[in-house]
Amino acid sequence: MVSSHKLIKACWKQRYFLLMVLPGFLIVLVFSYFPMYGIQIAFKKYSAVRGMWGSDWVGFKYFVLFFQDPMAMRVLKNTLLLGVYSLLWGFPAPIILALLFNELKRPVFKKVVQTISYLPHFISTVIIIGILRTFTERDGLFNQIAAWFGSEPIVFLSEPEWFRTIFISSNIWQGIGFGTILYLAALSSVDPTLYDVANIDGANRWKKVLNINWPHIKPTTIILLILSLSGILGTDFQKILLLYNPDTYEVADVIGTYLYREGIMGSRFEYTTAIGLFQSFVAFILLVGANMLSRKVSDTSIW
Amino acid sequence: MVGKESVGSRIFDLVNMVLMLLLCVAMLYPFLNVIATSLSNSEHILRGDITIFPKGFNIGGYKYILKDPFLYSGYAHSIIYAIGSTLFMLTFTSLMAYPLTIPDFVAKKFLSIFLVITMFFSGGLIPSYLLARSLHLLDTYWIIIIPGCVSAFNVFLFRSFYQTIPADLRESAVIDGANDIQILVKIMLPLSKPLLATFALFGIVGSWNSWFEALVYLQDENKYPLQLILRKYLFSISFDSGTGTEVMQAMLSQMNISSKNIQMAIVVVVMFPIMVIYPFLQKYFVKGVMIGAVKG
Repeated sequence: MVSSHKLIKACWKQRYFLLMVLPGFLIVLVFSYFPMYGIQIAFKKYSAVRGMWGSDWVGFKYFVLFFQDPMAMRVLKNTLLLGVYSLLWGFPAPIILALLFNELKRPVFKKVVQTISYLPHFISTVIIIGILRTFTERDGLFNQIAAWFGSEPIVFLSEPEWFRTIFISSNIWQGIGFGTILYLAALSSVDPTLYDVANIDGANRWKKVLNINWPHIKPTTIILLILSLSGILGTDFQKILLLYNPDTYEVADVIGTYLYREGIMGSRFEYTTAIGLFQSFVAFILLVGANMLSRKVSDTSIW
Repeated sequence: MVGKESVGSRIFDLVNMVLMLLLCVAMLYPFLNVIATSLSNSEHILRGDITIFPKGFNIGGYKYILKDPFLYSGYAHSIIYAIGSTLFMLTFTSLMAYPLTIPDFVAKKFLSIFLVITMFFSGGLIPSYLLARSLHLLDTYWIIIIPGCVSAFNVFLFRSFYQTIPADLRESAVIDGANDIQILVKIMLPLSKPLLATFALFGIVGSWNSWFEALVYLQDENKYPLQLILRKYLFSISFDSGTGTEVMQAMLSQMNISSKNIQMAIVVVVMFPIMVIYPFLQKYFVKGVMIGAVKG
């Protein structure tokens, strides 16, 4: 066994390196890999006494249960719709803002506006929701504004038809400024002589945006779009958890919130593990699919 | 720039300027309104005529929350969780990333794959919760601090940063008889101060603003971070409706404050540290996003 002898020798020689990676290795092993091993309870009747391995296999029972559950269709539909609408409204917003920032001519003004626009990104979801609740009350800011247009007061957070609008628009408010950073970085690589050439050709500003700026941010856009597509089921359920209530469950209840209620609050561990596994599976397929699509269409891919 | 600009171009500049000012108002107004409300008289709050300046002057809301011992314990715990998780994150990430830059490190390939897998697959909420339960980590500080402190993404970022440090530095240190722990501490870490500062801020802000892990893993209110104390004020204690609130209402009106004074006061108190370091913070965050982008 010359090779294993060599390996031991190499390990001894690199013992400091091995010592250095050990804590990180153990943390990842325990807190990332053990839960992966724990996914098996999605296929088992979990008994805390007999442990994860000792529990009996039940096959796809919980998956079948989920798809027969009338709630399943509701949470799947809500998750998908919130994801699609968030992408549709939320994805273009920072791109447009970055292009507008780029047209600002006074550097100081530009810097100040940018800095202010990043602010909501740093504020916790709990605070955002606290403010949002105050503004959406019967006598809150939103109703005061609505009253200028002659609208009757609405208790926004109890109205299912308002939930998506409030959720998505507040997401955009939080993320639009910070979302411009990567696009602005791409725009800063534009060679200024390109603009001079365009000026000589008599191009107007819209033409310059279309023919100079857009091609520069296109690769960034595609990569971020792939990531967003694969995250379409990954709605920020923590925010929903703070924003929804039984009045709005019919549109607001998503996979994440359902998992939390049934799993952590209701202790239906096997059933909710199965749902979680299903969600990760779909997310993985989406990531691979989106990446393949993008590679075909534009030669850009994330791996 | 060409001297003459078309009318259309100038109109666009004007419109763009107005849009930017509106954007600033939309970003700042909510926060100014919260501060103003927290300091206003209850009659004005009920009338809803507060904009960005306090009407009347009333610090009753602050007095009320400063009497709550949970506010202090929340602050203390948020600081413990933020500093603890950030220190562990920086230490373990640095330690793990450095050997991965050494071309002939024996475990290099294995560890890279070991880490990449966690970027695509995870056990999910429920198995993680069951693990914490079976390890008896529920209601401990460790379950808030440790699990998130080593992420594959950060390790790879640190590694690519170390790779920009010339290899000659290490080689000459080896010749001088330094071992690799000394090299990491005395050469690599001092050279990566900007990286460490950026990630320290990422870690502290992330931890300060997080609340869901604490909600899942902690039942003991004495260990709650500030965000959960805030949540309790905003949600569980419903001052304005429901049963059994008459006593509360009477007490509040005796103190001449409204429940909004209290809620907005605690929002301000929780927001305060972030606002103070904000100018500094945003600069580093922008840098951090760039580091991530170069890698990703």
